[in-house]
This record gives sequence, C-alpha cells and structure tokens, in this order.
Amino acid sequence: MVKDLPVVPSAKAGSLAETPTGITWRVQYPVISETCNTCLDCTLFCPDGALVQEEDKIVLKLSLCKGCGICANECKENAIQMIPEYSGVQGVFR
Amino acid sequence: MSTTLLTGSEAAAYGAKLARIEVIAYYPITPAFPAMERISKFIDDGDLNTRFVRVESDHSALAAALGASLAGSRTFTVTNSQGLLYMTEVVYHTAGLRQPVVMAVANRALSAPHSRFPEQGDAISQGASGWIQLFCENNQEVLDNMLQAFKIAETVRLPVMVNYEGYIQSHTLEEVEIPNQETTDQFLPLNRVRTLDVENPQAVNTVASPEFYMDYKFRQNEAMEQALTVINDVASEYAVEYGRDWSGLIETYQMDDAEHAFVAMGSMVSDARIVVDELRNEGRKVGLVKIRTWRPFPAEALREALKKAQLVTVCDKNIVYGLGGALGTELKSALYGQDVRINSYILGLGGRDVTTVEIKKVLELSEKTKKQVTASEWFGL
Amino acid sequence: MALSIADLSKEELFGQGNAGCGGCGAAVAGRQAMKALGSRTIITIPASCMATMGGSNLKTTWQIPFYHTLFEIAPAVSSGIRAALEAQGIKDVNVVSWAGDAGTADIGFQSLTGAAERNEHMIHVCYDNEMYMNTGGQTGSQTPMYAITSNMTKGKTIKKKNMLAIMEAHEIDYVASASIAYPLDLIAKFKKAATKPGFSYIHILAPCHRGWQIPPEKTIEFARLAVESGLFELYEVDEGERTRNLEPSFIPVEDYLTPQGRFKNLTQEAIQGIQTSVNKHYGRGE
Repeated sequence: MVKDLPVVPSAKAGSLAETPTGITWRVQYPVISETCNTCLDCTLFCPDGALVQEEDKIVLKLSLCKGCGICANECKENAIQMIPEYSGVQGVFR
Repeated sequence: MSTTLLTGSEAAAYGAKLARIEVIAYYPITPAFPAMERISKFIDDGDLNTRFVRVESDHSALAAALGASLAGSRTFTVTNSQGLLYMTEVVYHTAGLRQPVVMAVANRALSAPHSRFPEQGDAISQGASGWIQLFCENNQEVLDNMLQAFKIAETVRLPVMVNYEGYIQSHTLEEVEIPNQETTDQFLPLNRVRTLDVENPQAVNTVASPEFYMDYKFRQNEAMEQALTVINDVASEYAVEYGRDWSGLIETYQMDDAEHAFVAMGSMVSDARIVVDELRNEGRKVGLVKIRTWRPFPAEALREALKKAQLVTVCDKNIVYGLGGALGTELKSALYGQDVRINSYILGLGGRDVTTVEIKKVLELSEKTKKQVTASEWFGL
Repeated sequence: MALSIADLSKEELFGQGNAGCGGCGAAVAGRQAMKALGSRTIITIPASCMATMGGSNLKTTWQIPFYHTLFEIAPAVSSGIRAALEAQGIKDVNVVSWAGDAGTADIGFQSLTGAAERNEHMIHVCYDNEMYMNTGGQTGSQTPMYAITSNMTKGKTIKKKNMLAIMEAHEIDYVASASIAYPLDLIAKFKKAATKPGFSYIHILAPCHRGWQIPPEKTIEFARLAVESGLFELYEVDEGERTRNLEPSFIPVEDYLTPQGRFKNLTQEAIQGIQTSVNKHYGRGE
C-alpha cells in the first residue's frame, strides 16, 4: 500500500515543535529561582528554544528541553539549577 | 513564423527564448556552448528577459537552475559529456525533487580517451536518473522538442533532457521554421509552482528513512509512466497548434508491410529515411522505427510497431560495457517473447561517421547474419 | 545602534523540537541568527548536522522555507533562488546558504567562491565546529593544528585554513566573524548583512561538545574562551573597512585549549607556540 506523500519530498513548517524528539533523552531539567533578573541571556543560549519570556518571567517549555545544562552554566545570577529527572537509588540491581 | 538557417545550438536557444525562461545557468563546454552563447546574446540584445547566473562549474549550473526552479521560475541549462557527468549527482537530485527543469544536451563521447566528437554515450549514462529523454532527428525537431519538453515537464513534474548530437546537429546549419511567440505563449502558459515560498514555508528534502524513501520513488516512477501518455498528447497538441507532427514516443516510417525494420535514435534517423526510400525503390520491404522518446522506454509502442517484422536491425552510437548497445539490449528485452530476429550493432563511437552508406551496409550485413554471437556487434572498425 | 535582547523578535523560526544533541552549538547559532533574519528568509543547507537536524521525513523544526541541498551546492542553489526572486519581482527576502565547515571551506568551496565572485545578493554562513561532525568527526581544513579527530588520532599536523581572509580577498560587501557566546554582536552582524546589496559572509564559531570533548553545558563557555584568549577574533570587514568588534581580555590560550579533550596531546611547547602567535597577531609583547 503506497503511502500518500507530497509530490516534492517535503515537511510541513514547524511540525517538529509539535512532536519534539529530544525529551526522551533528558536526565535533568532546569528550575529557575526568584533571583532571576530576566536578563534574557538564557533565551538566546538555549539550543532548543525551550526558555521563553512570558510577561516578565522566564518560562520553561519542558516538552522542548533536552536538559543540556547550558542555561544553568551561563546564568550570571546563578538563578538556574539543574534538577535530575530521577534521583532515587542508582546502580545495578541483582 | 519565419524560416531561416539555424544550427542545432541556435534552434535550442530559440526554443528556450520562445518558452520565456526566467533563469538560465550554464557552464561552457564543447560543443554545447554555442547554444549558451546564443541565449546570452538574446539577453544582451534585450530580446529575452532572463536572469543569467554565470556559475563556476557545470555541477553548479544545474544546482542554480534547480534553485531557480524551486523558487518558482521556468529554467533551463545546456551541457554534454563531461559536464553532464559532473552534474550527474544534481541530475538525479532534480528528478527526485520533481522539478520541471529542461536541459539541452549536445551529445558527445566520454573521456577517456578524451573525445570532443558526437556520440550518444553521455545521454545513456543518465538512463537511470529519472529524467525524461527525447532524441532529435534534425534541427527543426530540436526547436520543436524544446517547446514540447517544457510542456511535458510541467505536466508530469519531471525534468526533461533534449538530446541532439554534437557538431553533426549542434554546429550544422539546416532550414528551421521559428514558431511565433503568440502561439507559444498559448501552448506554454505561465505555470508557476513555488516549492520554496516565504508565503507558504515548508522544508524540502528532509532526510528520508527506509519507511518513506521507497514510496517516494514509486510515485516518481509513476510519473515516468504517466509520461508515456503525456508525451503522445503533447505531440498531438503541438501538431495542431504548430502544424508539425513529430509523433510522441516513436514514429514509424514505411512500416505497414515492412519485413525488415531499422530502429535507431538521433541523427541516424534522418539518414535512415533516405536509405529506406532507396531500398523501397529497389523493391525491398524495409521500414524505419524512430525512437524519439528513450526515457520512459516505449516498450509497448515498440512491440506494437514491430509486430509484423521478421528482422529488426538496431543501431547504437553508444556502448554499455559488458552488456551491449543500450537501445539494442533494451529493445531485445522489450520484445522478449515476440517472434522476431533482432540484430544489434554498435557504430559511430567517438564521432566515427555514420552516413547513408554505413546504414545501408549495416542493413545488408544484418540480413546475412542469422544469429549474432555477442549481444551487440561492432560495425566500422 | 546598541541592540538589546528585549528588542528582539519573540518568534521561534528555528530550533524547537530539533533532533540535535542536547547542548548543540549549531542549534544555538541557528536560533540566534533567525532572530535577526526573520520570516522572509529562504535558507539552503547542504549535508551537515544542521541539515539533518532540520528534519526527517514529514517533520521539520523550520518555520521558514528550508531546503536540504546536496553537499557542494548551497551557494549555487542560493544564486539560482535569488535570480528567480528577481525575475518574479519578489523583494525583501533574505536568501541564505548555511553550511558547516566542509560545505563552506572544502567540498562546498567551489560554489562558495563562485557565488562570492559574482557578489550575489545573499548571505553565506559558515557554522564552524572545526571538524566534519555529521560523518562522525573527521579532520577538515577548518580543524585547528594539534586537534585530535576520529581519522587523525595523533592530531592534525597542519594549521587551519583562514576562511575569513579568503572571503575578504573576494572583496565582497561584508565579511564578519561571530561567536555564539556574543549573541547581540552576532545578531547585529546578521542584520547588517541583510541590508547589503551583494554578498555577505559570516563565520560563526559554534562549538560541538561531542567533537571538542567538553561537557555539553559548557558549549557557550568555550565559544567565549576562544574569543577572550584572542584565538578567535571578533571582527568585521564592511565594504573593505576592517573593525575589531571586541578587545579580548587575553586569558592564556592554555585555559581555552587544555580542558578540551581534542587537544589532550598538546605539549607545553605547542601551547607556547600558539600563545606566541596570538601575541604577535595582536601586537603584544612576549
């Protein structure tokens, strides 16, 4: 059964933002504290556009975040902490 | 309409001019360059409103033409042999992207050894590329095929190559009637399809996984098969509008009661017509089948045309090493099961002359050859 | 002239949902550049990580027209696109070819030099991670001397080819270097390039943490260290006039080089040699 495809091999604009792939790899995610002064640097350093300004706050779009840690490393106010996705027992279980 | 003496190169240039191409990119190569220069002269004289991208290589020439096509402009390029092989990567890519680019190819032999002389080898090398390929018998047909090429391309959304032989056709003057612009504007209306469009953004040529690639290829081949009909339709329409009927896929000449059929494509065809007439005058039942469309391969049309023939002589000005002449081997495969003797000959490689004399000799040799020892026999060595 | 982040567009035209590695420098570069270029942009990207990240099958991260081209041809394709836009009377559209170091300096060089020589109305961007990352991290002309890669495991023995100087020699409208650690400078340069009638070339240092063997969260940090050590000069050549955009603080080159896994074979002598050549370039004493 041949698939129904566009004539020119192509993809609909913005379709990956709807179904992001990187989130399954994430082992940590950023939490932004009160000391944030909305300098907006992190919005330009995030490779995935996961940090956006909404009104006067920085909001994390978790579905886009891969947990790379750039934002926490770059924040001049130390306002961002990386929190592990899993912080329970680690190691090999027998 | 005006009748004048034109070389094949000039005929191709007039074709592109009448089609009102918006962008042209080319890189000079012998013997294709006169067509390129003629178009540049049209532009410089103000007779053609076309943007010329003076690229730095043949590979970039097709790339630039492709870019212009994706952005929605009618585009064209010219090349042959080494240039065509250099741009082969882009040739396949253009077909896969379903862009209606038209390319004139002044067929020339391939290096090594280094040859600048006419032969079909360069066209044959692109046989699997997904481009529709037409061959021209004379300079009038070069011009007419150019116009039909744009129509075919924009209908099935596949690129088209118009082949004519270097020097024999590209540089030789023949009488050509140049159609008028009004008729052509009706025949080839502006048919703009923008694939790269800021008003309708999309991503083109994303990486395709095994799950999708084969389906795309199926659809591309489907378009190729659709071309079998479209090429015939466009030829019929052209005959009505312009008064010249080159037929679509193949043309049969004196085939009604022919026992011995000569099959060929390209400049050989015009010589073969003369030979057929001569032999008919001697009472021999000889006919000609002209391959005008080599891709898609007109298998069914050939089976039909050669139904009553007892002997078929097919000539190739090309060689597929280890296999035989391209047309000869493909014809045999198409006629498999049909009760007919087929003799395949390779001649004229690297510009070695093929005139009415050679064609007559080949026909005589073929009649004496009950069964060939090899897939294709070499003639003229 | 001073741009502030608050002034920038909030539109996300590239990057959301991209399939690049977490911490990808190229993705940062793409996001920053799109803040300058806007939605009336057509981008051609030859085979590279950026092209692959652009999307697969029926999905893409791009919100503007994007075309994944064959490896060598992005600048040639862009030339054709520009010709078509002009023929159709379509104005105010940026035409950008965005290539990695291979698609710019090596396999793509022919079409780049051709388009630059013709001073085509377009921008070519080299996002430079100094190795052929999309094929696993091989050495290319933009790989620095001594860097270890997957196919030169003892380190490169030849220096990096100076693409900025080569593009300057084409006498095009605009040549600039940029670093993802200085986004406002990068964005200003893209905005300037977009106003030029002819060819602009922007060379962005975009570290790849996998290739450079640094922690992912330090991608931006190393893009900053390269500039502050003086090894990557931030400058522009605008219609032939050269301006240095930032005076480095001259941290020792060692601070930039030794933490990178790809430079683990660097000897003290080599480091000294590099420090000396940096000092010489900036006219500083020993």
